[in-house]
Formats: sequence, structure tokens, C-alpha cells
Amino acid sequence: MRYGMRWATAGAVAITLVAGTAWLSTSKAQTRNAAGAPAPATRPTTGVAALVAAPRGRVDWQAAVGGLRQSANLGESLASNLNRDQVDITAVPILLPRDAKLASNARIYSFGDYYTITADTAGAGVSLSGTTTTVLLPATKPLKVDSGPEQLTLQRTVDGQLASFVRFGVLYTVEIRCDAPSDPRCVDDNYVLGLVGKTTAVVMGKAARQAAGLGG
Amino acid sequence: MRLSSLFVVAALVLAPLAACDDTTKAPASGVEAPKPPSPEPGSPKADDAPADGGAEQPSSEPVPPSADPAPQPAEPPTASPVTFDHAPAGAIPAGQGPGYLDRTVWSPKMCWPLAEAGFPNSQVYGPGGGMGPPGKPSQCDSLNYTPPWHDTFCEARSRSNPLCAGAGTGHQGQDIRPASCKKNEHWAVAAEAGTITDIGTYTVTLVAKAAPHYTYRYLHMQMSTLAVKEGDQVTVGQKLGKVSNDFGGTPTTIHLHFELRAGVSGTTTDGKAVALHTFLPPYLSLAEAYQRKLDGKACGAP
Repeated sequence: MRYGMRWATAGAVAITLVAGTAWLSTSKAQTRNAAGAPAPATRPTTGVAALVAAPRGRVDWQAAVGGLRQSANLGESLASNLNRDQVDITAVPILLPRDAKLASNARIYSFGDYYTITADTAGAGVSLSGTTTTVLLPATKPLKVDSGPEQLTLQRTVDGQLASFVRFGVLYTVEIRCDAPSDPRCVDDNYVLGLVGKTTAVVMGKAARQAAGLGG
Repeated sequence: MRLSSLFVVAALVLAPLAACDDTTKAPASGVEAPKPPSPEPGSPKADDAPADGGAEQPSSEPVPPSADPAPQPAEPPTASPVTFDHAPAGAIPAGQGPGYLDRTVWSPKMCWPLAEAGFPNSQVYGPGGGMGPPGKPSQCDSLNYTPPWHDTFCEARSRSNPLCAGAGTGHQGQDIRPASCKKNEHWAVAAEAGTITDIGTYTVTLVAKAAPHYTYRYLHMQMSTLAVKEGDQVTVGQKLGKVSNDFGGTPTTIHLHFELRAGVSGTTTDGKAVALHTFLPPYLSLAEAYQRKLDGKACGAP
């Protein structure tokens, strides 16, 4: 596997932190199935896109709450510059990188079941998003992509690198877009993998807390 | 005991990643580098020579060998409501990439992303492109501004596209030449109502308000005349900016690179279920949107 070693590293970080979260906070080993993809659905034959709207219950709130507790005050601290109203309407667990500098200028845009966070770093922009909604490709159209722990995938875009993974039943995306095509952060996947590895701080606004049974 | 064990493990695993901190890899100091503005519109130049041999395909990067073109169905597809001249979805000439045969209209309500007409076709294999026909060196050749449309999703490129057969690389969107071969004149507009979530040095990203919250990316825009800024909530059909040839300091052909992205659930070629954020073929969504425009229907109309 082309990215095997690096996936293993990034995946090990995430798994260690998520598993550790549950272990510490509940004293129960939470071995969530990493393949917690949004619910499958039947593809229509009309030629119009099929939405796989994962029901809210598909979010693994128990694991997410474990992540929240493990993040302790760090998540809220990292999220202190985010628009609180946008955080509060977000009904999925928000993931932030443990990178105070990046988080300090982050902006969040939320549609409730989907959010995206935009942040700047010198010479590049970073986007982090989460959603429970996906569209379904038919099995006759297999995807030519390697998939690692937590369904981690990597793609090189026109202007950067794009990583996706599934955690808590939510599809998360981490992307870097570089101003200069030759920027090493966008030429190879080391930077984006590093960013995935440290995108572990969980934040929940009012909507997510209610859905998780924590009250508003 | 438990705490210390966990942190030891986490520290060991995290250590190799420390080098990935942006503070160590940024090309400049910690001070944000100002983004260079695009040149003012001025008098359009008829034929800027693209320096990238076409678009989005650096000459320094080889294009992996691609699979044969996507086979077309033996039975003719359902009659298309589209009345203008356009080649079928996924039909890419042999040797120019696998294409992607898909008759799904992924975004059935989207607005044609230009205020005027446009010509979806190849920037690489058309006249003036890096691998264009001999004897036709000008990107302003009338062939490029004449129907039929051509699908360019999964045209041969070196960037990732999991939907493309062969090496899993290919063009990630649809290239569209504006109504004329003039940069900084023709408006790109919002394909759906949503929020501008990112402005790059030559890109605009729009996330749709409606589920499944498609991400539309507009590349090669003129940044100095953008009509939107990050955080703006836009209505469908709202002007975003003008189509140019900006490409990170290197001019490309005058065109809009239009991407449609979404969270996608599927199966990998080795049979594993996977969900990822990736590219979808926009060609048929564009065709239907353009037909609605020709029919005089408003953006967003069914």
C-alpha cells in the first residue's frame, strides 16, 4: 500500500486517542467499528443523485462523548474564536486540530448536519469539515482509492491535498490548499497526514450536546 | 497508571508527526504572506499563451497511462431533454483518458455557473493546449468556441480521482471556456444558494445550503474583481467573479475549472466499503442547467 506506513501512524494516533478517551472516561473499552460509514441506501433508477442521509442516530454519540471528555477544556479553548452560534447549530461532533495557532484564526460555517472550518496558515489555507450526509455510488462503480484506518483516504487535488476519514460515524475531511503549486505541503501528503493525526479535539455545541443526551 | 501509559503511547506515536507542524514547513515566516492580487482587467488580451501546456497539468508531472475510454452502453440512453449539441457524458477520445460513464445528474437543480454561454471542452487536447492538434496553436481557435460540448471528467491528468479507471487519476472537474476568448470579462455565478467558505489565490469555494451540501469550486478566477468574500451567503445565480486564467502565478488557458464535490459512499476496487469526500462528474448537471437557461427558466427552477 502506497501510504501504508503513514496511514498506520496517523491512524494509530487517532485510534490511541479515541480508544484512550473511552477507556479513561468510562472505564469501558469502546472499540467502535472504524468502518462506521453512513447508512447504506438503495440507489434509485431515475438518474438523479441518491442521497444517503444518515439518520442522526448513526452518529456514535457514546464515542463522541468519550472524545469530548478526553479533549477536556482543550476543545473549547481551541474553539474560543469560532462563531458560537454556528457551533451551537452544528448537530455533529466538531473536530479541531490540536494546533492553537491554526485554531486562532479559524472560521466556522455550519448548516447543522454539515460544517466546514476555514483557517489560514502562511501561504496556504486549511479546511476541516464534517457531515453525516453522503451520496451513494453504485457497486458497479468501484472507487480506485486506498483506504486505511478509519477509512482514511488521501487525494491530491489541483491545488493541494485532501484527506477524509470516518470517526464517530461522521465523515470528516481535512484539506490544505496552497498558494504556490510547488509548496511542499501540497506536493506530498506529509502535512495533511500530520494534520489528520492531530485533528482529535472534540467540540460540541448545543445541538450536538442535545443529540448526545448531554442536554443543551 | 492508566493515564501515564496512555500518554506514553500517544507521545511515541505523535513524535514523528511533530515535524508536520506548519510552523516548521511554512515556506515563509510566521507572518501571513499577502496574497498577490490578480492584474486589473484592462484591455483583454486575445490570446495569452498558457504556460502550463493546457490546464491543471504541470509539464513536469507525467500523466499515468490511463485505461481505455469508458464504454458506451449498447442501448442508446434515455432521450436527453438537452437540445444543444453536446457529446455524451464520459465520451473521451482514445488516448486522452478513461472518462467516466455516468448518467446520474448529481445536482439536478443547480444553476449554469456562468452568466452567459460557455464551451465545455478540453484545455489540454483542444487547439492551443499542450497536447492540442498540430497546426492549431491558438487557444482562441474557433474550434474551442464552437459546440459540441465535451466531457472532461477523468480526462488524463496526474491528480487523484478515485472515480477514474486505470491509475485512479484524472481530471477532477469540467473545464468550461467562457463565451469568448477574453479573460476577466465573463461572470461566474453561484450554482446553488450557499456560503462562500474559502477564497484562495485563484479559487472560490461555495458550499451549498441544501443537503447533501455539495461543494462547488471555481478555479482560475480573477481575484481583484471578485464580487464575494469568504463568509458571504449567496443566492443561486449570484455573481461571484470573472473567469480568468490565473493559476498560482502561472497563466493557464482562459477557462473556468468547475468542480462538484460531495461526501460519497461506495466500495473500493478491493471490495471495502468506504466513505470519502471526493469529486463527482458535473457534466450532465451542467447540461441540464444550461438547457434550463436556454429555456428561459430561472436559476434553481425545476
